[in-house]
Amino acid sequence: MQHGGSGTDNDGLLEKFKNLDFMKMDRRTFIKAVGALGASLFLQTYKSDIAKALQLSETKVVWLHGVMDSGCTISMLDGGSPDIVEFLRVYNLKLLYHEVLMMQQGIFVDGKLANTSDLNSEILLDGILEKEKGYVLVSEGAVANGPQGSGKYLMLGGRPYKEIYAKAAKNALAIVAIGNCATNSGVNAAKSDIVELMDPRGIAFTMEDSSKGILDLLGIEKPVINLTGCPTHPDWVFLTIGAVVLGKIKIPDDLPYVLDHWKRPKVFFPPDHVIHDNCSRRGYYDRGEFELTVGGPKCLWKLGCKGPYTHADCATRNWNGHLNYCPQAGSPCIGCVQSGFPDSTRPFFVEVEKTGIVGTNINTIAGVAIGGALLAAGAHAVRRTVMKRPEDEGEVAEETTSEETGGEK
Amino acid sequence: MVQVTVDPLTRIEGHYRVNTEVNGEGVITDAQSNGLQLRGFERLLQHQDPRDAALLAQRICGVCPICHSISAANALDQLFGVAGQVPKNALVMRNIEQGFNYIASHAAHIYVLWGPDLANPAYRDILAKYGDVGNAVWKELSGRFAPLIYQLNGTSYPAGSSYVGAIAEFRRLHEAIALIAGKMPHQVLQHVGGVVYSPTVADIGQLVGYLSKTMEFVEAFTLGVSPDTWIANTYKASSPQKAANFVLNHLQELLNKSLTSKDFSHSAGWGDVPLFAAFGSELIGEKLLGLPISMKMDLAGAYKDPNKIGFLSYGAFFKPEKGDGYDPTSPADSRVIPSGYMNGNFKLEKFDYKKISESTRHAFYIDNVEDRPPWNGATVPEGDPGKIDYTKGSASRYSWSKAPNYNGIPCEVGPLARMIIMGEPLVTGLVKTFQDNGYYPVNNYTRMVARMQEILVLYSELMKWLTQDLEAGGKVAVHTELSMAANSAGMGLWEAPRGALGHWIATGPDSMVTLYQAVVPSTWNLAPRNSQDIPSPVEQALIGTKISAAENALGVDYSNPLGILHTARSYDPCLACAVHTIDKTGKHPDYTIKIL
Repeated sequence: MQHGGSGTDNDGLLEKFKNLDFMKMDRRTFIKAVGALGASLFLQTYKSDIAKALQLSETKVVWLHGVMDSGCTISMLDGGSPDIVEFLRVYNLKLLYHEVLMMQQGIFVDGKLANTSDLNSEILLDGILEKEKGYVLVSEGAVANGPQGSGKYLMLGGRPYKEIYAKAAKNALAIVAIGNCATNSGVNAAKSDIVELMDPRGIAFTMEDSSKGILDLLGIEKPVINLTGCPTHPDWVFLTIGAVVLGKIKIPDDLPYVLDHWKRPKVFFPPDHVIHDNCSRRGYYDRGEFELTVGGPKCLWKLGCKGPYTHADCATRNWNGHLNYCPQAGSPCIGCVQSGFPDSTRPFFVEVEKTGIVGTNINTIAGVAIGGALLAAGAHAVRRTVMKRPEDEGEVAEETTSEETGGEK
Repeated sequence: MVQVTVDPLTRIEGHYRVNTEVNGEGVITDAQSNGLQLRGFERLLQHQDPRDAALLAQRICGVCPICHSISAANALDQLFGVAGQVPKNALVMRNIEQGFNYIASHAAHIYVLWGPDLANPAYRDILAKYGDVGNAVWKELSGRFAPLIYQLNGTSYPAGSSYVGAIAEFRRLHEAIALIAGKMPHQVLQHVGGVVYSPTVADIGQLVGYLSKTMEFVEAFTLGVSPDTWIANTYKASSPQKAANFVLNHLQELLNKSLTSKDFSHSAGWGDVPLFAAFGSELIGEKLLGLPISMKMDLAGAYKDPNKIGFLSYGAFFKPEKGDGYDPTSPADSRVIPSGYMNGNFKLEKFDYKKISESTRHAFYIDNVEDRPPWNGATVPEGDPGKIDYTKGSASRYSWSKAPNYNGIPCEVGPLARMIIMGEPLVTGLVKTFQDNGYYPVNNYTRMVARMQEILVLYSELMKWLTQDLEAGGKVAVHTELSMAANSAGMGLWEAPRGALGHWIATGPDSMVTLYQAVVPSTWNLAPRNSQDIPSPVEQALIGTKISAAENALGVDYSNPLGILHTARSYDPCLACAVHTIDKTGKHPDYTIKIL
């Protein structure tokens, strides 16, 4: 792995946060702490405080899988500290249903449910759908709506997943949609000749369209938190659910302040920050040194890197044990956390300025990508001339106020 | 006749249903394998820049993304006309990344997906009949393999030690992959003409460290002996007989101690593999080692008619000794795990990709041609909700999965197929032992042992690739331009952890994709019937299997159908992969990929 010069501001923050009383921490400080410290450090720092806070309540979690590839479940298993087992324990979560991690399966004898909830997942699920209330619904995967609104392109236990999802959503305290399949329907809804027939829906959005989420279609109003990414990052999920459980994000009152336009926590998807800002290859960009063939150490912008347009903390948080992220490993960022992924970010290996896709997504482009380090080299100047700022600059400006993102004040 | 349906079959990737007819003796007499979700993945690659496929196609599957990425990259190498020049170092990087994922994927299957069925309460009751020893074994099974959500009589129990330990190793192996590939799942290493990252000496050392650390788990939990000892006496044994004897003698020694001490713990040398190897099989455990009881997995999930089944490997892992470049048709001698076809009587033939076809006769697709080669896919998914019905029996259309065939024969793909085609000594020796004793040699037991053994095979090869073949800072890619892909076609043959995987791609004059098709392992293993109404491998394996635990040892219990659960899960189902389509919608004419 080639290490670049990413910042180490966190050292000072760590000392600062260590001396704070977790129980008295306000929402903004909490968000700042989890964002700056990351999951592992945060939990190490406040472990005993959290345990105290949790003596009072158990939070139930129902985890459903729709149209997806299980990549987000795998990503959760790749969560390091805490790992998924510790995560459930530390936050006192009771995971009621998760098709990959449970003993049960659906069992029917002559078409009738058999055995008990010890072994039969359908009995377990029916019990949850009928009796449980106030759980966190973790949604992984899109909801199949096709063909013709029947939802039969995904059936489970003899019924359309869409029906199961509707029941589960109605009684949830809140919905945490993980990964782009759930948040925006992701690759399932990518442009193709059969996408209209298949009609897969995200929870609150389908691609970038907020009128096509499955909740709207089902007439269900529930608070939704979106954690995008293909897959999403285990820290993003564990720390968001943790914040909800601890009351550090109050639902629904705090959501307008902590979420961005795409219903994502700004702490992880900062409107005023893009991957490019902290990229380990940034020095090459500033000197105008670019790779034209894969395999070298220089800036990947001319190979189509979407890092300058992608709002996520990948370059500071890193993936898989906080070890690495895509451009550091030699690949252009493909913008997999963007709400329009993959259509809004492909072709992956063509510079954005040459693809014409900028215009449709200009409001997701950060001003800072263009503004920073202007004096350094030609690269920025070139891009300033190519890229037009949006007409609707107001929305961008509003999103980039540092006050709500927990940035340094 | 009783109908027993498992829907959904959980602890797999994706959404899957198995329906069976069971007679009064508790024997499955008919079975249908139902893929429950339509995904239409390849369609989103059509009309697009082909280079995106190496990153996008892996999103077919979050469990085994790397094999899809490599298959796509292999197809792109041929599409761009550079397969002959891909640098050796890039091929070794592909091997290494895939090798780590094989171990992670197999560990996930063995411990997280398949293993929990060993903690099924039916085994508590069966083993209890064997007194203290049986109870001690049950304590190990439930204490090691209980999953995260596990309750008995409504009371929740914590996850098992091996289960939790394996998740930590899974994570470690994915961290190793992320070191050279950005992140995992959905890594970013693969690219047309090579890979995007050239490793440093530090990376190589770190990768060796990850692998060695995981082998500490394998020694303490999985094997109970050092991996090097195991490999020297099995994978590197001078004959299949010697490999099988090593394991039998090892089990006998363990039993000699533990039958009196009643200690079957990890610390007593009972790794998860020895525990399963002794108590999982009637032949090994009861007949050869003299145990009074076993789980009889060797009598379930077997093929009864050798004329209706084959075993297939496309070949995987480039031989570094061959230097730069490779032949996309995957001749047997060019891959570390060779390509090959073995018929139901275990006669090995040379692999010829032209013998692959897919049938839609029993799948929810509309096509006037029942069998097509994958490079000429042209099917329309059923759009009438009234016709999507999984309950109409074996003569109907009942799955979103198509039915692939090799020369008209359904094939099992995956670790067992690879290991017997490769002639791996332990698996080959076990297969022969079962044959010699009048057992069907391919069954749930040998299928699982083959997957366990492949972890050791890969560990051995990975150490060689890392320490002998990988060159720090070496060239890892040849330069390509999009125009090189105009009016071209490519085929990427590879092996996913679950079995044979092929991607086919074709482009038009503007270099944009006109057709993309993936034929994946779970489509082979978990298909519906084919055009000749021959049941798929999993259907054949289910028919004749007893419905409940250990050959209905507690009597027939339709409500705890372990025969279905063990058998279907033994293939490591991956339905997001299996259910796929590329089709015509009237907007575009049929495309045919002309390969070579």
